[in-house]
Amino acid sequence: MAKLNAFSYIVIVVFALTLAACSKTAAPTGPGGSGPGTRGPTGQPGPNDRTGSADLGTGGGSLSEAGKGQSTETPRTSPLQEVYFGFDSFDLSNDARATLKRNADWLKTNQSVRVEIEGHCDDRGTNEYNLALGAKRAQAAKDYLVTLGIPSERLSTISYGEELPVCREQTEDCWQKNRRARFVVSTGRPSS
Amino acid sequence: MMRNFLFIASALIGILVFASPFYSAVVIDIDKPGGRIVPIAIAPLRNLSSGDDRSGISAGVADAIANDMKLSGWFRVIDRSAYIEGPQSGITPDSFDFKNWTTIGAETLVKGGFSVQGDELTVELRLFDVYQGKQLVGKKYTGRARDFRRIAHRFSDEIINQLTGTPGPFNTRLAYVSNGGSALKEVYFSHLDGMDKFPVTSNKSINLSPAWSPDGRMLLYTSYGEGRRSLYLYDLTTGRHTPIGEQNGSSIGGRWSPDGQRIAVSFERGGNTDIYILDRSGRTIRRLTEDRGIDVSPAWSPDGNRLAFVSNRSGNPQIYLLDIATGNARRLTFSGSYNTSPDWSPKGDKIAYTGRVSGRFQIFTISAQGGEPQQLTSGTGDNEDPSWAPDSRFIAFASNRGGGRYHLYMMRENGENQQRLTASGGDDTNPSWSPRLE
Repeated sequence: MAKLNAFSYIVIVVFALTLAACSKTAAPTGPGGSGPGTRGPTGQPGPNDRTGSADLGTGGGSLSEAGKGQSTETPRTSPLQEVYFGFDSFDLSNDARATLKRNADWLKTNQSVRVEIEGHCDDRGTNEYNLALGAKRAQAAKDYLVTLGIPSERLSTISYGEELPVCREQTEDCWQKNRRARFVVSTGRPSS
Repeated sequence: MMRNFLFIASALIGILVFASPFYSAVVIDIDKPGGRIVPIAIAPLRNLSSGDDRSGISAGVADAIANDMKLSGWFRVIDRSAYIEGPQSGITPDSFDFKNWTTIGAETLVKGGFSVQGDELTVELRLFDVYQGKQLVGKKYTGRARDFRRIAHRFSDEIINQLTGTPGPFNTRLAYVSNGGSALKEVYFSHLDGMDKFPVTSNKSINLSPAWSPDGRMLLYTSYGEGRRSLYLYDLTTGRHTPIGEQNGSSIGGRWSPDGQRIAVSFERGGNTDIYILDRSGRTIRRLTEDRGIDVSPAWSPDGNRLAFVSNRSGNPQIYLLDIATGNARRLTFSGSYNTSPDWSPKGDKIAYTGRVSGRFQIFTISAQGGEPQQLTSGTGDNEDPSWAPDSRFIAFASNRGGGRYHLYMMRENGENQQRLTASGGDDTNPSWSPRLE
């Protein structure tokens, strides 16, 4: 057994906390309190401007939701919708770019919001390659949002590969749903 | 957690070999595919002690050996209902009539006895060539009573050793990922027959990519247990889990080198995944790939000098071989547009991998020198994640053939004798075949 230096103690403490906490929730359940960004560009509240927790997913992202036995689908009412990819691809289609533009617009009017971009794959192919591919997808979405003017400090990425699908049928329809980047609000507190 | 692993730590199984002249009239020619299958009878063990057989050792040992023989594909196990002798008949060569076994068609025969004193178990097992009326090998094992299946698997490997010249792969474990039908994944290990299943993780998260250390005493695995992906080391002797390597969510997989001194792993940074070598404490000592493509899933050559890995640098995922000293990579697979999850045979001659053909995933092998791949699986369903047995004659993999869940399977390395190993209520995937247990 290696001698215990300070780093090892930290590792042991971190690890003990891991064992105690099981699956840690990555985020609170949506933007808290009365945050800003309840108005659309025209000043009038628009259909996508509600920031209640129900609209942005029940909270914490796909891993947290799966741990609670909940669906990992993004609600249709969420202001941040998913973008989809072709098989073994991380190219952004025109539809994907349009969705990313809408997501960017919302993020610009909700300046305090930080987003974790999850990269996912369908279940074909092997787990490790799909973890890497999911990372490419999340990064592609992030990079495009940055070109649209969203500061990269507001965007983090994580890949889940094929591990957290929204459906499991062996159909093209289901596979397409899983080849996605998902946008999860990671903090909701207004920064100013 | 601590008490659960103690039964694994009880690896104290002693062996005595009975002096017996080596005589082999029944030889299985393993080089001939579809070769002759040897009929074998395996008698329930004779109870040599005075107590009851409360643990079911008599039938338990015989059942485990019989199942191993079936899985190997080299034997046909004669059904116990046909046996003429009762379980308390003689087990030494001069104490029973070989005609009782030739009559029912056996060419080989396993007989034995056991005695239990408290928690201490003693088992003797003998393999006979029935036609010649001779004992081929006899062994005596001691251990804890609950280890009777381990003893059975050791003797299965000895039977195969006597008849093929190489010990079998049954005194081993499979580590794998199981979701129990839920959205979450935990790592387990068990024997090949699914028995003695042990949970390595139970953190209600996503746990992936188990990989054995060369001495079979540790497992690497990847976990989202803390929210971000991290590589962990599980020590079977202490029951401890230790995070190793980068703790920033970037790890994908991780495998020990054959000498146990290094770990090959992939790290993902800024969307890009590359292959790194760590020392055994998790410190990064080298980066091996630097291209913008995906480089993932390193698998060591048995001499530790090369890695097989997956790269999409040519546009889609293919298997490459990388020379660690020079850093040079050369492409190995040229058939098909999607080839992943390589595993290098312990003998060093072949790489098994998953390849996509006609929209389905199949297991292939290819010579480490390159050339035409051999497709081992076919039909409906997907077959993925091959893992070689330590004797290089078998491959474990996951398949969802038959529709529905993934289960673990094993087959001969030429694709023959594909048999299902697990039947849990969920998906069992990503098998890692351990080295031979002590």
